[in-house]
Amino acid sequence: MASRPTVTVFGADGKPTGATEVLPKVFSAPIRPDIVKHVHTGMAKNKRQPYAVSEKAGHQTSAESWGTGRAVARIPRVSGGGTHRAGQAAFGNMCRSGRMFAPTKVWRKWHVKINQNQKRFATASAVAASAVAPLLFARGHQVATVPEVPLVIDSSAVAGDAVAKTAAAVAFLKAIGAGAELDKVRKSKKLRAGKGKLRGRRHRQRRGPLVVYDAEKDGKALVQGFRNIPGVETSPVDALNLLQLAPGGHLGRFIIWTSEAIKKLDAIYESKKGFVLPPNVVSQADLTRLINSSEIQSVIRAPKGEARTRRSAVQKKNPLVNKQVLLRLNPYASTFQKEKLGELKADEGKPKPVPAAFKEQLHEL
Amino acid sequence: MVAAKKHIPIVKKRTKAFMRHQSDRFKRVDSAWRKPKGIDNRVRRRFRGSLAMPSIGYGSNKKTRHMMPSGHKAFLVRNVKDIELLLMHNKTYAAEIAHNISSRKRVDIIARAKQLGVKVTNAKAKVTTEV
Amino acid sequence: MSNVSADLIWEVTRLQNAYLVKRKTQGAPQFSRDPLNLTNLHSRKHAGFVNPKAIGILPNGEKGVQVIAKKPAAANKPASSLYKVTYTTTARKTYKAVARQAAKNYYRPDLRAAAVARVSAIRRAQRPVKPEPPKKLRGAAAKKAAAAQ
Repeated sequence: MASRPTVTVFGADGKPTGATEVLPKVFSAPIRPDIVKHVHTGMAKNKRQPYAVSEKAGHQTSAESWGTGRAVARIPRVSGGGTHRAGQAAFGNMCRSGRMFAPTKVWRKWHVKINQNQKRFATASAVAASAVAPLLFARGHQVATVPEVPLVIDSSAVAGDAVAKTAAAVAFLKAIGAGAELDKVRKSKKLRAGKGKLRGRRHRQRRGPLVVYDAEKDGKALVQGFRNIPGVETSPVDALNLLQLAPGGHLGRFIIWTSEAIKKLDAIYESKKGFVLPPNVVSQADLTRLINSSEIQSVIRAPKGEARTRRSAVQKKNPLVNKQVLLRLNPYASTFQKEKLGELKADEGKPKPVPAAFKEQLHEL
Repeated sequence: MVAAKKHIPIVKKRTKAFMRHQSDRFKRVDSAWRKPKGIDNRVRRRFRGSLAMPSIGYGSNKKTRHMMPSGHKAFLVRNVKDIELLLMHNKTYAAEIAHNISSRKRVDIIARAKQLGVKVTNAKAKVTTEV
Repeated sequence: MSNVSADLIWEVTRLQNAYLVKRKTQGAPQFSRDPLNLTNLHSRKHAGFVNPKAIGILPNGEKGVQVIAKKPAAANKPASSLYKVTYTTTARKTYKAVARQAAKNYYRPDLRAAAVARVSAIRRAQRPVKPEPPKKLRGAAAKKAAAAQ
């Protein structure tokens, strides 16, 4: 793929304004699904709240084992009499009204510390992946109608009160080709399977576009316009979050950048102390292009052999059956066969009798 | 319907089920196979006359594995979109409509399958009535 | 961009992507819903969204086929990245045109056979479905029962 340092800026009507933005350096960060996945797994855990069963559950009885000799299991049994409970097994996880196995504790390790530079690496990688159209398609975003990826829109289209109303925001998203994506999200709303329904997580739905803006220049009015559109999320450019950039740990979120936001991106990464944008291990990832480059083609030697070479090692041929293979192994075979050497009798007749003197010597003494 | 691609004969090395040891003696022991682990177990030690244990040698030829007698492999479909996937594979795969699909949707699926020439293994389920 | 290539995209999306259809039984087949995939198989060669050059063939309503092909130069412009053409002529002309479109100028000569096969399959699916032949009655009793009705 050709290097593409600039990106077109689109207006509120979805037409290019004629202006271009230089693509920030973050977009050439290496795409590392392994790091993004790892960081995402950790970050997704950091919103959890502790839960546990009661400390006392299953232990609010003074049960003692009856020991051996009573022909019952040696599990602790509730003492006393006069009630059905007496004599019933208690405490064990296999018992009715016993405690659970390994009761959950509030001091479980709920949160995961992730190294800051690793988080920054993952974020940079997710941003870079959001500029690769195939990854957007692979994530399931309906971006076939979007004019360009990454999609940069002129800040004047969203600044101030331009999209402060939801109706205006929807019209704006449709104009820039995100209409199909909005439809997809709206139709995807389904009841959640399982108990989550009862716990404030009633529905599941897809994620739509993420609108990244610059809070200082674009203002915050657009947040109100976008917040009630299903699937659409907003994020200020200086607080990009991996959970939004790569939901589920899968790279390639559809991001709509404002021109002010994308302008600020380079400055943001320069201001991060102790962090340099990770370099690519290979500067050209396209192997076909590398192999066909003049630098490599000029130093490799010419291919050996003819245009068509015999593949000798493909199948073993039996030389006893296949005459051509036999001749290759034993050139004498043709003469041998032609002169019928195999059918010749040995010239000598019977072996000569052993001389008497030899026998005599053998049997001496 | 399109017949399946030509293939080598399907050989099943064993057609009987592998019964769990002693499932014939006790009602509470299900016949679903469990490997015997006992130190003295005669089945585990492969004594003459005892039950056969499943092993990799009973496996089918890779070329005919998962094949139905018709020569197709089954592919589970839930909607018309799923059956479109078999457009290029109607000689290797046959569609099998999932059990929980209503008869109304089955009609659509079967109609589309007929156009695509895809065999549906359970085409009669839920859409025909008994006479 | 120089940090991405088709091989990398394939490695990232090979195990999980929006087009992938997996089944767990029957040898766990893997298919793909990608419109730019000619065989519907989940593979590096046929994955249209991964390759910079790819061809897709879709039915053009009741008659003919629509051929879509990616423009490698417009990889990052989804709205204008597809070249579309429809064929509603005879089978032979369509095959020839599609084969030429696939292989011309070294576009994707490896997909030529698959493209023609798909056109053929789509055309076959567009033909009217033959009505099923009436069932042959077997046995005297069944014939008698049919005659009585």
